[in-house]
Amino acid sequence: MAAHHDIFRLQDVTVRYGRRLALDGVSTQIPCGGLVALVGPNGAGKSTLLRSLLGWLPLTRGEIRLGDLHPRHLHPRLAYLPQRAEVEWDFPITVREVVAQGRWPSLGFFGRFSAEEKRRVDRALEELDLIPLAQEQIRRLSGGQQQRMFLARAIAQGADIFLLDEPFNGLDLAATAELLHLLQQWLAQGRTVIAAIHDLSLARAHFSQALLLDTRLIAAGPTAEVLSEANLDTAFRRHMPVLGARP
Amino acid sequence: MIATWIDFFAEPFRYDFMVRGLGSAVLLSISGGLLGSVLVLRRLALLGDALSHSLLPGVAVAWILFGQGVMAMLLGALATGLLIAVGSTLLSRLTRLKEDAAFGAFFLVAYAGGIALVSQSGTRVDLLHFLFGHILGVGPTDLWLSAAAAGVTLLFFVLFYRGIVLEVFDPTFSRAAGMHGRWFQLAFLSLAVINLVAALQTMGVVLALGLFLLPAATAYLWCDRFSAMLLVSALLGMAGSVMGLILSFHSGLSSGPSIVLCLGACFLFSALSSPRYGLLHSLRLAWRERRAVRHTAD
Repeated sequence: MAAHHDIFRLQDVTVRYGRRLALDGVSTQIPCGGLVALVGPNGAGKSTLLRSLLGWLPLTRGEIRLGDLHPRHLHPRLAYLPQRAEVEWDFPITVREVVAQGRWPSLGFFGRFSAEEKRRVDRALEELDLIPLAQEQIRRLSGGQQQRMFLARAIAQGADIFLLDEPFNGLDLAATAELLHLLQQWLAQGRTVIAAIHDLSLARAHFSQALLLDTRLIAAGPTAEVLSEANLDTAFRRHMPVLGARP
Repeated sequence: MIATWIDFFAEPFRYDFMVRGLGSAVLLSISGGLLGSVLVLRRLALLGDALSHSLLPGVAVAWILFGQGVMAMLLGALATGLLIAVGSTLLSRLTRLKEDAAFGAFFLVAYAGGIALVSQSGTRVDLLHFLFGHILGVGPTDLWLSAAAAGVTLLFFVLFYRGIVLEVFDPTFSRAAGMHGRWFQLAFLSLAVINLVAALQTMGVVLALGLFLLPAATAYLWCDRFSAMLLVSALLGMAGSVMGLILSFHSGLSSGPSIVLCLGACFLFSALSSPRYGLLHSLRLAWRERRAVRHTAD
């Protein structure tokens, strides 16, 4: 499943929402099997890029391929975690049932939930340390636990490419450390994480690859090079009207 | 003594029309519980209420043109229901009006139009029957319609259970998983209209939604699992219908209001005393917290 040699190829990817240009001619390659940070100011198109990688947005121009596949044909390999999951938190459902939903895309509407499926759900719960919470209604979880539940659902789904939109937003110190630890584990297992991130020092410390966006692509490659003074200046300058403020 | 009690409960159902009314209400409790649960969880309760009221003109036109025919009424209701739904959706998308205002405005106009139509061409009694239900009017065709509505709804839920859960709980994931359907809204709306029309004779347009909403809202206060919520709301609807019809028979109250009153009693009891989500529980928690704070301050 884990395919290190897979590469997302983006060719002149352009997305418009009405008259607003959200992404402008982004051409790059994102190698799988690593931690990739998407960096850029608000409105730079980070979420748009993630949604394009999922194949959800009609591209105004350009194309995205993984191997020779359109992203739409990639699930269940792709998993997506939106900024703040817009789920119904008061839905009468337990943690285990949410994680079990990860199997539904493969099973379809009618596939039988066999013992093997149950074991996969158990393994996912165990991997994310959710066994003690399995029978809880989801409203009773903390923010970090809720996030882990959705990551467990993605694992149960069998995903190996994770698209995370601002996963560190609203996490406290302990939850951040926990998530980082998890991402390192996934890295060792050859999984791919592409995450929109605001915290530059976090990106520098933990993500080997980075994409710097400001509607167009400013730079892509090893994080240290991408997040150089000059590049950050280009990406953030027009968003910083305060004299002398620097990213 | 015991014989009197048995008689109290059994006597109403010695009459054919009562048995038909009961059959219709019990069948619709099944579909009502299922649809109502989705309404409650998707926060569509008020829209459902608006929808049920706005069916009146369609039903009235069919009634004026074709008499008591069930099929004509169903088609009339479907037509107005879809018209109102499409119209208010367009209005809320394309103007600055929000969905609730658009829906509310449409439903008021439709409701007033319906009342005008019925009172122009019928008697006051006809109007009351349309508004509050008329158990004597439940004919064999109504019973068949109820059975069909319950059957189709049950089938829809059995077949698309996973899709329905995802659509209500997490549409983003449902989309990523490729289980997302634009048909869901339309299918759900059509099912709601069919069931509302089927409930018309027993419940009336004003209260038809009661059979959907109240059991589901009550079950929501007790259940931590969706499947349990569906089951509990269907069973509650059945129990409420039986009690309501008995009440209606002995008191002479219309069947719609008496069923809704019985379901309402269950709802109020649950809202107060549900162990996890009831009012008393929340108050007790808040009180305990305040006391704890005061003690720490000391």
